[in-house]
Amino acid sequence: MEIKGTHTFSAPRDVVWDALMDPTVLAKALPGGEKLEKVDENRYKAAMHVRVGPVQGRFEGEVELTDIQPKERYRLRVSGQGTPGFVNGEGTLELQDTEDGGTLLQYAGEAQVGGRIASVGQRLLDSTARSLVRQGLQALEEQLQARLHPPEEAPAAEAEPAPANGGQAKAASATEG
Amino acid sequence: MTEQGIGAAIRRREDPALITGKAKYTDDLQLPNMAYVAILRSPYSHARIRSIDTSAAKALDGVVAVFTGQDVADSGIPGTVPVGWLLPNLKTPAHPILAKDTVRYVGDGVAVVVAEDRYTAYDALELIQVDYEPLPAVVNPKAATQEGAPQIHEEAPRNIAFDWEIGDKAATDAAFANAAHVARLELVNNRLIPNAMEPRAALADYNNITGELTLYMTTQNPHIHRLLMSLASLGLPEHKIRVIAPEVGGGFGSKIHHYPDEAIVSWCSMQLGRPVKWTATRSETYLTDAHGRDHVTTAEMALDENGKILGLRVETYAAMGAYLSTFAPAVPTYLYGTLLSGEYDIPAIHCHVIGTFTTTAPVDAYRGAGRPEATYVVERLMDQAARVTGLDPVEIRRRNFVSPDKFPFQTQVALQYDSGNYPAALEKALSIIDYDKFRQEQAALRQQGRYLGIGFSCYIEACGLAPSQVVGSLGAQAGQWESAVVRVLPTGKVMVYSGSSGHGQGHKTTFAQIVASELGVPYEDVEIIEGDTAQIPHGWGTYGSRSAAVGGSAIAVGARKVVEKARKIAAHLLEAAEEDLAFENGKFYVKGSPDQAKTIQEVALQAYLAHNLPKGIEPALESTTFYDPSNFTFPFGTHVAIVEVFPETGRVELRRYLAVDDVGNMINPMIVHGQIHGGIAQGVGQALFESAVYDESGNLVTGTMMDYAVPKAHFLPSFETEHTVTPCPHNPLGVKGVGEAGTIASPAAVINAVVDALSPFGVEHVDMPVTPEKVWRLCHRNGGQ
Repeated sequence: MEIKGTHTFSAPRDVVWDALMDPTVLAKALPGGEKLEKVDENRYKAAMHVRVGPVQGRFEGEVELTDIQPKERYRLRVSGQGTPGFVNGEGTLELQDTEDGGTLLQYAGEAQVGGRIASVGQRLLDSTARSLVRQGLQALEEQLQARLHPPEEAPAAEAEPAPANGGQAKAASATEG
Repeated sequence: MTEQGIGAAIRRREDPALITGKAKYTDDLQLPNMAYVAILRSPYSHARIRSIDTSAAKALDGVVAVFTGQDVADSGIPGTVPVGWLLPNLKTPAHPILAKDTVRYVGDGVAVVVAEDRYTAYDALELIQVDYEPLPAVVNPKAATQEGAPQIHEEAPRNIAFDWEIGDKAATDAAFANAAHVARLELVNNRLIPNAMEPRAALADYNNITGELTLYMTTQNPHIHRLLMSLASLGLPEHKIRVIAPEVGGGFGSKIHHYPDEAIVSWCSMQLGRPVKWTATRSETYLTDAHGRDHVTTAEMALDENGKILGLRVETYAAMGAYLSTFAPAVPTYLYGTLLSGEYDIPAIHCHVIGTFTTTAPVDAYRGAGRPEATYVVERLMDQAARVTGLDPVEIRRRNFVSPDKFPFQTQVALQYDSGNYPAALEKALSIIDYDKFRQEQAALRQQGRYLGIGFSCYIEACGLAPSQVVGSLGAQAGQWESAVVRVLPTGKVMVYSGSSGHGQGHKTTFAQIVASELGVPYEDVEIIEGDTAQIPHGWGTYGSRSAAVGGSAIAVGARKVVEKARKIAAHLLEAAEEDLAFENGKFYVKGSPDQAKTIQEVALQAYLAHNLPKGIEPALESTTFYDPSNFTFPFGTHVAIVEVFPETGRVELRRYLAVDDVGNMINPMIVHGQIHGGIAQGVGQALFESAVYDESGNLVTGTMMDYAVPKAHFLPSFETEHTVTPCPHNPLGVKGVGEAGTIASPAAVINAVVDALSPFGVEHVDMPVTPEKVWRLCHRNGGQ
């Protein structure tokens, strides 16, 4: 399965980059994300709950960042398995300035999906993947806005464990300092 | 009596229990202290197993045990799934009943959970951690043989399981060199999923004091399963295994085979000393029931200037899947290559088949098994030959039929057809369908932008594989005879024990009709017992449309033996000479004086009392028969499909379907018609709707009925079924077999009709299934017209 697209954030490139390198931010942007723990420098353990049509369940796996060129690009490798099957994927994320001070994200990757999500959810796989990416980017955008325009009453909180519904975690992002 | 005997279209005695829920299937059975089995299946089509962690699953409340392939290996049983048909140089890589090191298709079993209830068993599966190292997949049978394709089994280079040929290559090449016309097609025979209504299930009950295993399972052949369980899987002595087939809800071949699952369930019971039950989910049946077909074929026919066939050349890549299933090697070889002469007198044939391993579910016999694939090749080529020679598809068939006066007819591919009258079936079909009128109507409608097509399929099949000696010389590791015990009880009621094993065919009705006719007893007085190795002498079960021709013949022969013994006793009681006695409607009487009679019931009682038997005659009245036929039977016929295609939507509407079948004498015409209806529906399913699709990673993407389109009743017209009757000359009933005829004939008839309908668009071939998308693309490939 191929995943490819662009998204424009209304935030400067260094802010977007910092967010993309911050596990607490990513954990909250991850749709259905349950946890994202740093294992070492650029490796994370992740758990997320995914639903594809009639198939749903928990995936556990690893996310690894390589070829990191600060503020420009990195390669992302994801491998996860769970009761609904498995996902293995690899792709790149690239950032560019836009003329109006925002940041253009270009992403492209290839994912291998197997198990019940492939055999039962196959027809819904592409549209579900697209919708998960959209949700994730939207959640990221919201967190970026929260960083740029922090609410006054926000406490300077430590990074908390990410909520289960990170994708829609508006309230949670507001607690970011 | 005779109104319920052979030839009577009486209702099936099986049905009241089946349709009121009184029938007991394997999953209905409950034994005290029974636990439940669930099997963890690989999500990878090809991977090495690095490690399996079962600790969390074992710790779950209600889990009795969790086992892996290593545990099976450590137990010291043979633990394998064998191949029951060997070919020269066949590669037979080991097939463990639970994968230990490598998985080779999505669905391969890697661990098994036994729990106090089914839900806990499935919950525990989710707690097993398997660390897989993914390996590359290959799903296409031809691609699997190419350089650089992933190697699935070490012992099979280029994934070739066998390389087989039949016929005369030199003669065939010479025929092509002299041909005026050559018809050529590249065909894919799509992979199918059997879809029996009842999923596979097994209830194993091992008594660790007596060492006896009782195994209730969904089987078409309990004795074969007992044999293979003993020899290859469990290592228990054969006499300590009892296999029982309770009610079995359809099989279409898929319940012939010896799968790993029923063996692993039995092994679990042996480990735990308590009964355990497993019932496949529908998803499991999709992943693990042996699939059917999956051929990639190049086929060519050489013809002279008059449209007479000179030669036929066929090359086929046939998928075996990840492992060789029970009779898999026989299906694309002896059940396919030998059928390529069809109904035609073809002077030179050569067929080359490459059986290949792919990282998919195993492929094995499925309704028709080899013969639908052969019929599809021959009958599609006949239409293509009509096109290249400019002849009408009917005329080119007429010119090439084996003429009715040429039987027995020796084909160029080993079979000797014992009887047949092919023109009769075709002419009958033409007159019913009113062919000339249809062609006029078709032409007129094309003027209005409507596209109708007609397709013919003049098929031959070979049923009731036999005799055992010949089948053995071809590689079968099984006999092909059938057993019957005909036991007349003291009251004159009759119990018949048959080695056939029905699973929807209506044996209890048709076999009782045979006995009623042969013994002259009321139909209601006959009970048929099947499917229990402890009650029935060894038999080979039900597949390949063999039940009537082989199992039914065994019963007829057995009943005649009973009559011969009864005749001796009757003669003694009537104080007459044996040869002076007539036997009619269940009565022995002295010829010419029908008042002096003894009924078979009276004779039976005397046989049991044994107070007054003739000298040298043993008491009781029963016979045991092992009937080995002298040849296959060869049903044939002509099927005609009429379709309309709608270029705007791509829809194909099957408007009319006529089957003229010659299955020999019919024991119960209603059951014959029912079998033909079911077979046509499955064949139309292959032609228009069904296809098992694996993606390039080896995922079965048609894993549910949402994605795999089994035909619904409203997709189909009301079928017209007619007959000619050419009795089989070599069995006592003159019957041939009917269970597969519909599936064998119909795919070619439907595709020929679709191609005929699409011919104004320049279409010469379209692969099955003909989905609306394919039709639409064919109609619009040149921007429409």
